[in-house]
Amino acid sequence: MESTKKAAGKIMIGVIVLVTVIAAFVIIYNVFGAKPVEGSKEISIEVVDNDENRTVYVLKTDTEYLFEAMEEADGLTFSGKDSEYGMNVDTVNGVTADMDEGAYWAFYVNGEYCNYGIDSQPVLDGDNFVIEYTIFTP
Amino acid sequence: MNTTDKVKSLVKNITLIGMMIAVIEVCKIALGFLPNIELTTFWIIMFTLFFRKRMLLVIPVFILIEGTMYGFGLWWIMYLYIWPLLSLMARLFRRQESVWFWSILSAVVGLFFGFFCAMPYVVIGAVGGGVRNGLYAGFTWWVAGIPWDLVHCASNFVLMFLLYHPIKLVMKKAVKYNIGSD
Repeated sequence: MESTKKAAGKIMIGVIVLVTVIAAFVIIYNVFGAKPVEGSKEISIEVVDNDENRTVYVLKTDTEYLFEAMEEADGLTFSGKDSEYGMNVDTVNGVTADMDEGAYWAFYVNGEYCNYGIDSQPVLDGDNFVIEYTIFTP
Repeated sequence: MNTTDKVKSLVKNITLIGMMIAVIEVCKIALGFLPNIELTTFWIIMFTLFFRKRMLLVIPVFILIEGTMYGFGLWWIMYLYIWPLLSLMARLFRRQESVWFWSILSAVVGLFFGFFCAMPYVVIGAVGGGVRNGLYAGFTWWVAGIPWDLVHCASNFVLMFLLYHPIKLVMKKAVKYNIGSD
């Protein structure tokens, strides 16, 4: 009887600790997570292909994330494979980055490497995005 | 143990290891359309509890097969330490028989899965721009995935809670009939 009570007590503590940690995670996400801004925003998207040809798209958009902004950019085409982290872009403007050869499309925002996939990369007014064909060199 | 018995034991172990890996892979593929809902955590815990040191081969071979099937990306590096760590935890707590304990442990594993997966990003960021940059890269990557970690936590809890007792019963019978004995 005593051991059953002890076991039930331990389970209760375990559940409370789990719920507390979950709550902490939710708070961390709300405080530090990406916060998209709605409204009219002017951004630019520059595509640098494998021949270093540069094409710049300037657009006004109300989209929250880069994926939708890229869809809105007139003349910009892209495709890729869906994953649980969003789309992995492998083709931009008809140029496919062959991963087997160590090539990929790198995404930058305001000169810094994007920390999010295009599905969750926020778009802010004045952002300058660069999508550059890159060869991985170890 | 004479030579014939040794050979029999070896064949039995190889077959058992193969079957364990097949079970994990089939369940993974079957639930593949549901993001962050998986039975790999459940099976690694249960197999560790009942088939013990065979996991020393099950986990590396499983990780290798995953790499050949889906490519050896950054996620594969994560697999190299996450699943062995889980098996080690199950081994440490092998005397626990409470479904609540294992459900909560599975939930914690799901909740912290993204946190552990963020480690390679810390390293990559640190190589590129210093320790602070690495920690920032890892932190932002982890935070962005928290909603999926919550899904993972809930699904791990539910799956373990529902399946622990029936599967434990089957495993005990298997061991009783000498299938997993040493």
